[in-house]
Order: sequence, then C-alpha cells, then structure tokens
Amino acid sequence: MAEASSDPALRRATKRAVIYLLIVGAALLFAMPFVWLVASSLKPIEQAMSLPPSFVPRAHYASIDGVRLEITRDYLVSGPGFVADVVAGEQLGRRVFVNAEEAAKRGTELRIVHATQPGWWHVSERMEATDKRVPRWDIVEAGVIETKIRPRWENYPAALNRLGGTDRVSFWRFLGNTLLVCVLGVVGTVFSNAIVAYGFARLKWKGRDAFFALTLATMMVPFPVLMVPLYGVFRSLGLIGSLVPLWLPAFFGSAFNIFLMRQFFRSIPEELSEAARIDGCSEWRIFWRIILPLSKPVLITAGVFHFLYAWNDFLGPLLYLTRTEDYTLAIALQSFQSQAGGVQWHYLMAASTVIILPVIVLFFFAQKTFVQGIATTGSKG
Amino acid sequence: MSPHERRNFFRGLGFTSLWIIGLGTFTAYPVVASLYYSFCDYSILKAPVWSGLENYQQLVSDDLFWKSLGNTLFYAALSVPIGTVIALALALLLNQPVRGRSVFRVIFYLPSIVPVIAATMLWTWMLNGQYGLVNAMLSPLLKPFGLTPPVWVYDPTWTKPALVLMSLWGTGNAMVIYLAGLQNVPKELYEAAEIDGASAWQRLRHVTLPMLAPVIYFNVTMATIGALQAFAQAWMMSAATGSEGADGSPARSTLFYTVYLFSTAFYNLKMGYASAMAYVLFIIIATLTYIGTRLSRDRVEGAQ
Amino acid sequence: MSRLFVLAAALLLAGLPRAFAVAPKGDGRVHVAYWEKWVGFQAQAMQEVVDRFNRSQDRIFVEYFATSEVVRKTLVATAGGDPPDIAGLWTQNIAAYADAGALTPLDDFIRADGFTPEQWLERYYPAFARICTHAGKVYAGTSTPGVFAIHWNKTLFREAGLDPERPPRTLAELDEYQRKLTRRDPQTGEILQVGFLPEEPGWWTSIFYPWFGGSLFDGREITLGTDPRNLAAMKWVAKISQDIGIERLRRFKAGFGQQASSESAFFAGKVAIVIQGVYYNNYRRQYKPGMDLGIGPWPEIVPGIKDFAMVESDMLVIPRGAKHAKEAWEFIRYVNTSNPRAQRREELEGAELLCYLQEKNSPLRQWSPFFEQHHPHPYIAMFRELSSSPHAVSVPTMGMWQEYDRELVALFEKVRLLVATPEEAIDYAHRRMSGSWVRYRRSLERHGQMPATSATTPKPPAALSR
Repeated sequence: MAEASSDPALRRATKRAVIYLLIVGAALLFAMPFVWLVASSLKPIEQAMSLPPSFVPRAHYASIDGVRLEITRDYLVSGPGFVADVVAGEQLGRRVFVNAEEAAKRGTELRIVHATQPGWWHVSERMEATDKRVPRWDIVEAGVIETKIRPRWENYPAALNRLGGTDRVSFWRFLGNTLLVCVLGVVGTVFSNAIVAYGFARLKWKGRDAFFALTLATMMVPFPVLMVPLYGVFRSLGLIGSLVPLWLPAFFGSAFNIFLMRQFFRSIPEELSEAARIDGCSEWRIFWRIILPLSKPVLITAGVFHFLYAWNDFLGPLLYLTRTEDYTLAIALQSFQSQAGGVQWHYLMAASTVIILPVIVLFFFAQKTFVQGIATTGSKG
Repeated sequence: MSPHERRNFFRGLGFTSLWIIGLGTFTAYPVVASLYYSFCDYSILKAPVWSGLENYQQLVSDDLFWKSLGNTLFYAALSVPIGTVIALALALLLNQPVRGRSVFRVIFYLPSIVPVIAATMLWTWMLNGQYGLVNAMLSPLLKPFGLTPPVWVYDPTWTKPALVLMSLWGTGNAMVIYLAGLQNVPKELYEAAEIDGASAWQRLRHVTLPMLAPVIYFNVTMATIGALQAFAQAWMMSAATGSEGADGSPARSTLFYTVYLFSTAFYNLKMGYASAMAYVLFIIIATLTYIGTRLSRDRVEGAQ
Repeated sequence: MSRLFVLAAALLLAGLPRAFAVAPKGDGRVHVAYWEKWVGFQAQAMQEVVDRFNRSQDRIFVEYFATSEVVRKTLVATAGGDPPDIAGLWTQNIAAYADAGALTPLDDFIRADGFTPEQWLERYYPAFARICTHAGKVYAGTSTPGVFAIHWNKTLFREAGLDPERPPRTLAELDEYQRKLTRRDPQTGEILQVGFLPEEPGWWTSIFYPWFGGSLFDGREITLGTDPRNLAAMKWVAKISQDIGIERLRRFKAGFGQQASSESAFFAGKVAIVIQGVYYNNYRRQYKPGMDLGIGPWPEIVPGIKDFAMVESDMLVIPRGAKHAKEAWEFIRYVNTSNPRAQRREELEGAELLCYLQEKNSPLRQWSPFFEQHHPHPYIAMFRELSSSPHAVSVPTMGMWQEYDRELVALFEKVRLLVATPEEAIDYAHRRMSGSWVRYRRSLERHGQMPATSATTPKPPAALSR
C-alpha cells in the first residue's frame, strides 16, 4: 500500500488493471447468455439437457441391426438381459428387452438377438419430429458408440416449423405479420407524430399549451387502464382477430413521440420558417419542405424505437389476435413454448435466436441513432 | 378571437387533428370507460350493471390483489435499485479511458433490446435448476460452503429473484443514459475537486452523483413505473413452469399485478373488477410520478 | 435513413405475399370453421373424420384449424364478435363458458332433429352425459374422452422386486410401493427415482379429493373445507413431499422433461407410477416404444369402491355468435354418432372412427363389433368398464369451476411444496372460494340469469360429489 502510493506509475497501472478486470468480467457475464443461447440451439435435446452442461454439440453413431445410424443414448441398463424380437403372439413384430426369467417363460415367442450386460447403453435411432414412425433401438456397449462434434443446424428449420404451436402456419407468415405491424406502425409513428408535433412546436394558437400539458399528462396512464375499453373499441370496429389494432393507433400519434419531436422542432431556428412565410409558403409546405428534412435524426429515433416496440410487443397480440395465422413472432414463440405443457429447449433457443437476430441487425444498422436516441429520451429531452 | 387568431387556431387544430382523434379514441374514452366499468359488474359478453363501490370493496379483502401487489412491489424494489447501481457502475467504468469502449458499450447494451419474450425464454433455460448454466457455474462456487444453488424458477422463493436477475441483464439502456449524462459533467468540476485533494470516492459522492441526480431521478421513476407494469416475463415464466391453468406459478410467486389483472379480465371475464384494479394501479403510478418529479425538482434546485 | 427504409421495404416485400395468401372458397358450400387444440397424429385423426363428414354430404365443408390456447382464444374471439363455428374445449370450460354467455345451447338443434335432450343424452355413458350439460341445458358434444387409470413401469417394478403384473390395489399398498420404488444416490442422497408423485404430470390436481371420497361442491355450496376427506387427501400429498425431502424433490423435478417426449419423468424412468388417461398408450408408442407398460384401475381408497374413475373429455361447442351454427351442429352430431353395425374399418363412422384413430374408448354406450374387437389399445375393455362405473367422477359442472380449479392448483402447489400446512391451505382456499361463489351467484342474478344451482337443473351435478 505504502509502496503503491509512493509510486504513482504503479498506482495508475494497478488502477487500470482493476478497471479492465471489472469491465472484461462484466462483459463476459453479459455476453454469456448469448453464447449459451446459440450453443443450446445447436444441440439435440438430450445434450441440451445433460450434466455437466457443455457448449459443444455432438452427435453419436452406432450400428443397429447392421445399419449405422445416428442414435440417442437413452439410458444405462442396470441389469443383465436379452434384446429379443417377438415372433409370435400379441406383440408380434415388436422388439423387447427381457431378463433371463422372462425370456425362459416366453420361450419360442421370442427370438433372442443378443445378450446384454449391465452398464450398456440403451440407444435409439435419432428421429426429430416423429409423429408416426417408430425408432429402431438396441442395447449396446459404450465402446461401440462413436461420437463427433456436429452443430445441429436442422434445429432451426425444425423449430421455425413448430412456431405458433402448429406446423400448419409457416414461419414466413408470422414474420410477414410481424413486419406488417412493424412497418405500418413505423410509418404511422413517423408521420403522425411529426405533423402533430409541428402543430405544437411551430404554431402559436389559443389553447395550445393547455392541450400540450394534457398530452404530457396522458403519458402517465398505465396500459392496463386502457386495456378493457380498448378491447371494446376494436370489438365495435369489428377488428378483434385482426392485425389492425396493433398498428392503427400509431397513425394517431403518441404522447411520448409528440413530446420528443416537439423538442427537436423547437430547436430549429425560427428564422427559417419566417423566411419561408414571407415567400408565401403555406404552413404545410414549411413543415414538409423545411422542417422534416432537417429532422431526420429524431424521425429515425422515433421510427427505430417504434419498430423495436412493435417487434417485442407481447400483450397487444395476446389481447387482440385469435387465429394462429395472424400471430406475430413474439406470440408465436410463446404459444410454441406453452403448447403441450412442456419445453423443448433446443427448439426454443433456436426460435429465440431467430427472433433476436433482426433486432441486433437493426442495432448495427442504426447504432448511432440508438445511442443518441436513448441518451436524449432518457434525460428528459 | 381576431380573424388572425381564429385562423391560427384552426391551423393548430388541423395539425393536431390526428392526435385529437387518437387521444379521444385510444386514451380519453378508455380512461373514462374504464372508470365507469370499475363501478360495474361487467363482462364483455354481457352489458355492464352498476354495482357501486363493490369492486373496490372486494379488492381490499382480496388476498390475491395484495399478493400480486406485493409480488410486483418486491420485484420493483429489488430490480430498480440494483439495476440502477449496476447501470451506474458500468457507466462509470466505461467513462474511464479504456480501449475498446464502443465494443463494451455494445455488449452491455444489446441485452436490453432483446425481445422480452426471447429473454425470458433464455433465462428460464439459463436458470433451469438441473441443467441450467447459472447453476453449473454456481455449484462449484457454493460447494466449499456446503451449499447448493437454488432451483430458481421452480422454487417460489426464488422466482422473483430470477426475474430480477433477468432484468439486470437488460440494464444496458439505463447505462447508456448515464454514460451520456457523465459526459456532460463539466471537466472543470473534477479538476477543481482534484486540486482540493478529493479522493475518487469523494469526487463520485460530491461531484458526479449530484450532477447526475436529475437524470437518475427521472430514470428511477421511469424504471419503477415499468417494473410495476411488468407482464410478459412473469406471464411466460409461469407458463414455462406451472401446472396447466395456474397463474403465477409456482405457488403464485410470479403472480404480478398485471398478470392477475389480465387473467381476471380475459379468463374470468370480470372486466369491471379488472378495471378497478387498473385504476388502483393508475393511482399508485400517478403518486410515484408526482413524488419522482418533486424529488427531482427539489434536488436540482438544491444543487444549484 | 434511406438505408433503413430500403431494408424494411425489402423485408416487407419478402414477407407480405405469403401473409396474404388465402385459399379461395368458391365451391358453393357453407364453410364451417372448426378450431381445435390438437396437432400431430390426433389432428390427423380428426382431419380424417372431418374429411369423411365433408364427403358424406355436399352442403357443408368443415375446415380444421389447429389452434394453440384454443380455450382462451375462443373466449376472446367470441367476446370480440368473431368466433369460430365450432371450438374444441375441455370438460372444465363448459359450465363457465355457458354462464358467461359464450356458448349456444344445443337443445333446439336436438329437438329439431326429433329428440328430447334426455333422449339425445342417453347415447352416452352417464358420466359423459353429465359433462355435456349445465343448468338444465345441453351445451356440448364430446369428441374424444379421457378416462384415467394408473399406469406403471413394469421394468422398474421388476428391479424393485415387485410383481410387474400387480399394481397397488389400496392406499396402503401404494404407500408401500412408493417406499420400494424410491431410489437415492448412495453417496449424495439425491433422488434418482420415485414410486409416485402427485404432481406428475400435474394436470388434474383436483382428482385427489374425490379419490379420497371427498367432494368439492354439493350443488349449492363449496364443500372443500367442510368435507374432512379433502383434508385427508392433501395430507397424503404433503406427506409424500415430506418423506422424499422437499429440497431434493425440487432438484429432482427440475430435471423432468416435457410430457410429450421420451424425457418425461415416467418415460425416463424417474417416476414409476402415474395417473394418465387412455391416450397415454399413444405417448408410449411414440416416445418410448420399447417400454413395458402396465395399466390398471385406481387403488381403492374409500373402502368398498374398487371402480373409482375419473372421466373427462375433449368437447365440441358452438360459440355464441357463430355464423353457421346449424351446420356446426350437423358436424357435432356426426362426431357424436357411430355406426353400431360396423364390421370393418371402412364402416366406422363419427365417434368410433375418431376414437379408433386416436386409440381411445368411445364415450357412447353402444360399441360396434369391429370397434370392440379390433381396437388397437390393449386395455380398451378396462377403460370401457371404468367409463360405465357408477363411481366415475368428473369436474363439477359449476360456472365458477375455472376459478375454483385455479385456486385448487395454487392450493395443491402450496401443499406439495410445503409452504403451507394442508389445513391452512384448504382453509384459505375454502374461504376464498366461498366468497367468490357468493359473488358469482350474485352476478348471475344481477344479469338476470338463473343461478347455476336453481331448481331447473333436474339433478344437482353429481360430479366430484357423492
């Protein structure tokens, strides 16, 4: 301590080392879930659910009835016995695993394939997405199972086919719905809020400030307050079970975006408008020709954030959508998860990856917008 | 009004007409209708019947109302302060002259834009009691103390901490805001403090935090309001772990306020009751917003 | 900005054409929209029945839509004024949806066909007839039934030194089997296998009460807390968690896979005995084909009742406001009728065709020779016997059941996780539900609906009450 304080260079170096250590450590913690997400999405289910967890997807191979197959290692057999084919009686055509006693009892009904030892693996032919077929299986020595590293890319199409809890509606449909809602919403958000904000920012009229204060006050209203009557509104418009309620409101402004754009518009010098007015431009022309072109940053910010909002929205689709073919990706993913009361983690991770990816791509396209946008929106504008 | 004023007035109305329609249809009408429903026995399949204060009276004696409020407050009380501290800490770290700052900023920020539905899915899996990555990392750390990690989403006492953990992963948004705030703090203040011989801690305590105070208050208020309305993560975690038809599984530990409200309205079809719940939430949020802005204003004025 | 918009536009164009591809419907037939929860082979089976119906006449064309969360979706769509013509719900939804005004009563359709409702209902075993009705009206037809029995893993029985052909026959035997079938890791003490877990699969937490002889609803009042046999049931549930050790049990349970997979607790050999329905043989065939599975009647808990059974069903209803209610009824009628003289597979119709393809028992009293003799399920006769049992119970046909059931799920979770004693948990749920029941009836009266327990119901719902 005394040494460190006596040597400023060393002290600075220590400080830097501590900072880097903290930052890199935190970055690892923040990045780890992404790695785990992708790793899990590339594994078969029984490897996703294995201990200890591993980041590397593998494939196992063994011969069953002389055919080399990719297999799953189901469980270790705990006692000696026989693998046998049933050649007569009720279970004709089945393969069974019997102990010596039962083998003797059933006699000629069985054709013994081979004997097994404790500690052998019960293995089955690997079959994802089985609805009807029966996998071949056998009980084999651990030594004959061959293992390779293999990422299972086929999880992705398989998972996407299952989105929405059904294979009837394709992933493209969900994507199309989501994009429809996002893009229409973005268009609506950008234009409606710009027009309205112009009215608040650049025009002087009686009642404007009171109305603007009211507008700001509505930001406080939590969505649950609106939920039940909104459902009623869209019901009377006959729009429950359609995508319209998810994008239509964007065309009628939102308090937050009006506020955001108003702040920006007010920062544009008034002289520009005055000059145009003297030239005889209408307010609309001023808005369209002068203000809008200067306001690209705030328009992009509002648009990007609406896109994110619409892409992520879960409660809206849960509330308004009834048919699977109208689902957006978020709710399709959730239905997939809740279907049949259980969890196929590898598929869920694959589907989640697909839903996260566009957001990340969007981020890299508009990184600057994001950072500036958040900084301004977060610090009261 | 003079003709000129009148023209301006109608011009103003013209530009804001979309918002007038939007405000009326999508906010004002619902706010009023909801208030009316909250005094009614109402399901959307049957006409509302006035029932006076019954819904509100019942709320007071409804354990699930209190439970869901408690769950939500518990979640907010953990996730907001811890999230703020972490976001601030990360921002302070990134405000140092470190190499690769923009890369780190991206790493910290990205989780916050991950769709909540996917984030919940991922964390439910990360926190799986048996095969999850988190416990695989915790087990060896806890073993020397004779402890085993919790099973998180399957254990009612650990489900909310699990949701909090997940929310901390998404704290990058606030970090970016604080980082921007930090960069606005005048360098001269630090230099003056250094000349006065202030330690790093004292500089943080007496320069950085007071300068950031308005931003912090604002963000804490927003984060609290957001936490009080948290829905999707609790809804999904319950669906992932619960028995068929259970709300807030396991054992109602993830029954958040909005989850209870939603299932009251759209499963039990008690929409009047749900509207009363919504109004209570409204009042809570309005109060918090008021306190938040007051504190923020006082603080700013105090600092000046 | 332009880059972003180009990107967005390109994505939109890629997605839209598919999103708007809708099949044309210019065939002059009435198209009936049928929402059902099934996917996979069960959906294929129903599709075959739908196709058969569509071929049997040329006026109506039923379209099958596999719909996840069909129960909530139906309600939201009905409230929104755009319901399907037919929806596939569960037994436990019928009374609630009827009270909510979400269903079209079928009585008028039945009368138009020349039956009285009583005559129509005679086709079913009584347990099934009961669940189609609520407050004196018929609201639903069955599609395929779920009749429940105990299923056990014969291999695990052998390993534990038990007779694989002999299931536990009494509660005492079940407890004894539990001890013999529970295995722990000798070093760590962690659980490797248990005999029976009440929460596996956890789909019917209300079943323990009637199995123990208790009743949840007597047709007038909630009897959860007043019937001591209910407490006995939950004490037994709690004891299982205590005996195993709650911390270890939680860790053990976190490793259970999805029910519909070879990783499910039962198929993975982690639980030796489960209560499952007639459909479970399909799961076995699909996910664990080699498994040696035993199926038998419920262990006797109430002395003298050896044929206890639980019965439920997938139900077909016509939501209120359906555009083609009459046509929808024709399909429901078809699915609730069979050809009693069928000698060959090709002659199976309606209920029997569906239940044959889904390998379940028929809810109808009369079985055709082919169905009876060539049914693919090895234990089908036992399931038929259980359906006809006078002790077959189902969930109460009370409108508040969904809320009650959710409360019972929460109660069950508290008890099995040992966060409350059975007494506390039952007492709490009883008080809460009694209050809800009072309010529920008041709300019905307020809306001018007959209280669910009025004298117009010929017989109080016997379900879960005896």
